[in-house]
Amino acid sequence: MPESAELYFNVDHGYLEGLVRGCKASLLTQQDYINLVQCENLEDLKIHLQTTDYGNFLADQTGPLTVSIIDTKMRKKLCREFEYFRNHSLEPLSTFFTYMTCSYMIDNVILLMNGALQKKPVKDILAKCHPLGSFMEMEAVNIAETASDLFNAVLVETPLAPFFQDCMSENTLDELNIELLRNKLYKSYLEAFYKFCKNHGDVTAEVMCPILEFEADRRAFIITLNSFGTELTKDDRQSLYPTCGKLYPEGLCLLAQAEDFEQVKRVADHYAVYKPLLDAVGNNNEGKALEDVFFEREVQMNVLAFNRQFHYGVFYAYIKLREQEMRNIVWIAECISQRHRTKINSYIPIL
Amino acid sequence: MGSLFRSESMCLAQLFLQAGTAYECLSALGERGLVQFRDLNQSVSSFQRKFVGEMKRCEELERILAYLVQEINKADIPLPEGETSPPAPPLKQVLEMQEQLQKLEVELREVTKNKEKLRKNLLELIEYTHMLRVTKTFVKRNVEFEPTYEEFPPLENDSLLDYSCMQRLGAKLGFVSGLINQGKVEAFEKMLWRVCKGYTIVTYAELDEPLEDPETGEVIKWYVFLISFWGEQIGYKVKKICDCYHCHIYPYPNTAEERKEIQEGLNTRIQDLYTVLHKTEDYLRQVLCKAAESVYSRVIQVRKMKAIYHMLNMCSFDVTNKCLIAEVWCPEADLQELRRALEDGSRESGATIPSFMNTIPTKETPPTLIRTNKFTEGFQNIVDAYGVGSYREVNPALFTIITFPFLFAVMFGDFGHGFVMFLFALLLVLNENHPRLNQSQEIMRMFFDGRYILLLMGLFSVYTGLIYNDCFSKSVNIFGSGWNVSAMYSSSHATKEHKKMVLWNDSVVRHNKVLQLDPSVPGVFQGPYPFGIDPIWNLATNRLTFLNSFKMKMSVILGIIHMTFGVTLGIFNHLHFRKKFNIYLVSIPELLFMLCIFGYLIFMIVYKWLVYSAETSRVAPSILIEFINMFLFPASETIGLYPGQSGYTLVRKDSEEEVSLLGSQDIEEGHNQMEDGCREVTNEEFNFGEILMTQVIHSIEYCLGCISNTASYLRLWALSLAHAQLSDVLWAMLMRVGLRVDTTYGVLLLLPVIAFFVILTVFILLIMEGLSAFLHAIRLHWVEFQNKFYTGAGTKFVPFSFSLLPSKFHNNDLA
Repeated sequence: MPESAELYFNVDHGYLEGLVRGCKASLLTQQDYINLVQCENLEDLKIHLQTTDYGNFLADQTGPLTVSIIDTKMRKKLCREFEYFRNHSLEPLSTFFTYMTCSYMIDNVILLMNGALQKKPVKDILAKCHPLGSFMEMEAVNIAETASDLFNAVLVETPLAPFFQDCMSENTLDELNIELLRNKLYKSYLEAFYKFCKNHGDVTAEVMCPILEFEADRRAFIITLNSFGTELTKDDRQSLYPTCGKLYPEGLCLLAQAEDFEQVKRVADHYAVYKPLLDAVGNNNEGKALEDVFFEREVQMNVLAFNRQFHYGVFYAYIKLREQEMRNIVWIAECISQRHRTKINSYIPIL
Repeated sequence: MGSLFRSESMCLAQLFLQAGTAYECLSALGERGLVQFRDLNQSVSSFQRKFVGEMKRCEELERILAYLVQEINKADIPLPEGETSPPAPPLKQVLEMQEQLQKLEVELREVTKNKEKLRKNLLELIEYTHMLRVTKTFVKRNVEFEPTYEEFPPLENDSLLDYSCMQRLGAKLGFVSGLINQGKVEAFEKMLWRVCKGYTIVTYAELDEPLEDPETGEVIKWYVFLISFWGEQIGYKVKKICDCYHCHIYPYPNTAEERKEIQEGLNTRIQDLYTVLHKTEDYLRQVLCKAAESVYSRVIQVRKMKAIYHMLNMCSFDVTNKCLIAEVWCPEADLQELRRALEDGSRESGATIPSFMNTIPTKETPPTLIRTNKFTEGFQNIVDAYGVGSYREVNPALFTIITFPFLFAVMFGDFGHGFVMFLFALLLVLNENHPRLNQSQEIMRMFFDGRYILLLMGLFSVYTGLIYNDCFSKSVNIFGSGWNVSAMYSSSHATKEHKKMVLWNDSVVRHNKVLQLDPSVPGVFQGPYPFGIDPIWNLATNRLTFLNSFKMKMSVILGIIHMTFGVTLGIFNHLHFRKKFNIYLVSIPELLFMLCIFGYLIFMIVYKWLVYSAETSRVAPSILIEFINMFLFPASETIGLYPGQSGYTLVRKDSEEEVSLLGSQDIEEGHNQMEDGCREVTNEEFNFGEILMTQVIHSIEYCLGCISNTASYLRLWALSLAHAQLSDVLWAMLMRVGLRVDTTYGVLLLLPVIAFFVILTVFILLIMEGLSAFLHAIRLHWVEFQNKFYTGAGTKFVPFSFSLLPSKFHNNDLA
């Protein structure tokens, strides 16, 4: 539906958009975080969360609370909301939702393969998988030994199948290969998602494209930084970069040649968006971690997505914001349970 | 009466509750529902409050109770609800209760766990038997198709199950069999094919009876499958895939004897399990039945306890930490009761030092409490929906009780319809204690809550219907019409008089379609109908013109009286709040403005009615033109209503202008004075410009508002016209058609026509028209009436009362 989304967006997706905006209003506020940080133990945390929109999601918990219980319960709640959105969505919004789940599916597949490599029982790993990315064939992943095996036998009918085009190989999957596979899958996933949004046009493209561009560039930076000191060649490295970001193509070439953090920083200097981000990253102990800086930027973009109406970006932004909120709560809960209060304030506020 | 006119006077009281007795005191207060607590710990977050531990305990109890209720509901045991609500449990009993409940919960969990385990076991065995039964047919079929396996050596006598010959080929034939969820069959088969590259044969058949899914408890369809495969590696993969699709796999017997043996073994075990399961269920039922007896009172008790601790969390501790200080709003009339409640609470706990209270002066605005009964409640709700009245201001609900049904009835005037509505409301009122009505949902509930409003609305509609003389759009001739048709005939008059009057003779009657009655002919009009509109108008073609003129004037008169009354009520407000200058500078100018313009309009209407008779009606001036001329051409030379009118008009006009101008100026000054007076108290910045602006805007708004509001009251006329016309149309379209058919078959047609007529009358005329008249009546009250005096900026008094807690089991609330 090009051009005039305002006219008939609400016919198909108005209900869900209204719903998601309502859900967004229930995100924890700054005051909530201030209160959470003051909690003495996890029980206090639970009581405070009860006064928020989380409600009594921990009410039927008999045993003592642990951080992982809180985490799984929150995930379940998020998953319930997402399932509701998804079940009530119409095309092309439902495709959009499928794209959203793909990233979690990739993570789950990789997690399971890693688990199989280390000979851990499937049940244990399944518990760790993100519920948003679970699918039926998932548990059979460890049958496969090579990437093409994986594709042919297990994933050919899942939404992940199209992303396999350039990672078919007969190499047995060791740890490095799995990591390569993850990044390749993610690259083609991001590119496909980007293309989908771009083709959709309208406000959705205007909102989603910058978010996905940022996501792509973030991956490029992180891949570069993580590849220092590994046996990954520079060509291989370049082949992992998603090409839908702002860095493409010059920035990615430069990044491929980078050899330490200083050089990466120099690449970022060419981009007005990333320069302040990488400048904010401090050395080992002072300043913020690179991840946090990226998260903050992501939160900013996602919050901005709510300023416009009649587009799908709000759903993506809402899920991402919720996830960030969950990370914050888990962080705070961890700090509380480990009595490690000095760093409790380094959660990422959602404004 | 007094309490409905104004909200009750409140005072702020400080309660000093001894730490030991606080719980009992609050319990006593909660039962009585006298006071509203103020949160003294607003800055303290919920988990840092004093009684958070007790709150947690209550929540734990609630959780256990919710579990109990859930289990009891699952077992289909009725939950008896007590008639009386038990008091909050004494503190000593709480621990005991908690212990009891915890023990019960542990026991229950144990038993249900056992039960679930047994059920699962049983289910597995049943599945196994089904599988064995179904796979037997597979094997038979395999045997039939045997010739197709050409690569194998012929197996003449041995069954396929005897796979010794297979071993000779170097490959081991293996079987995996089990059950799979219906929805997953297709994907499962595809995946098997892809992974094993065709080295498997899958046979499956649908199970005819659906079985329960042990994981979700859903009853679904299952498929039984049998996979035959060659080789260890593939077998390993097949098992993996089966795991992935959550198949239930059971060992496959290799020989027919083995199969038989297993089946027999299974049957006996299933029998055993059944008996054990029954015993467990019986025991569980016993436990639950015992629990169900007390669960209702427990739920209520825990709720009350939680409410008490919630309130205690709002109190602050004094310096010595020995006593709790609570601040409450309490109606002054209830202070004695409050003291008694505190004494009761102290006595109950056996404390040596009693809890006590004292009132403290405050400048804060107290909440508004207006006591209602079941009759006035509905009317108060109508007012509250607009805005809860400010503290101690005149409460329009008192007058709404009469004016609301009346204005409604003016629009709904039809005594047939009104009587039906009255009967319906009467039915609700007489049966108001019926439990089904009390628990009814949504729309029925709405009618039920407004039953007294409906009753009065119906009653008043009967009254206005009689005035309009409308019953299902037909007039009723009770007293005999005041018009005499025969007097119009020329034969009834002396010939002398013939020239002056237009009289009827045979040819006139025969050739004219429309005949006109002339009231000036002696004997034709014998005086007005004793009550309401003369029924003869129902036959007249100019009925609508007549009624329109009447209804329009009536609505204007009613509206202006209503609004003037509103302005007058403003005087009571000013008197009560000791703002005398506001009476002189606001209310009186407002009244003058209203009465000099619109009051004068009423005067003209009434004057015209009284002075002009049938004979002089031709020279009667139009009120509308007179009224307009009064503004536009103060000195114009028209024929007035009465001699000397122009002089009066001029004088009136001039004085009125002066008054209104002076008035508004004075209003400004008046408010300045008021602000001066207040300054000492409030120390607020006095801003002359701002006050001036508000007052100017207020005066302009009032003047314009008077005009538009008067026009707004014309909706009374419009809606009453619409209602009358609609019922007229309904009659003409349905009943008249039904009644016109000849007598022999007419009855057959008349029955469905009447049924249809009744249905349409109820849905369109009663419900739809009623709703619209209701809405318009509400609007007239909210906007036109209440904006003359009502601020509605108060907060409602919400007492701490156990009766406000939900007293029923709300399953979703508990679960």
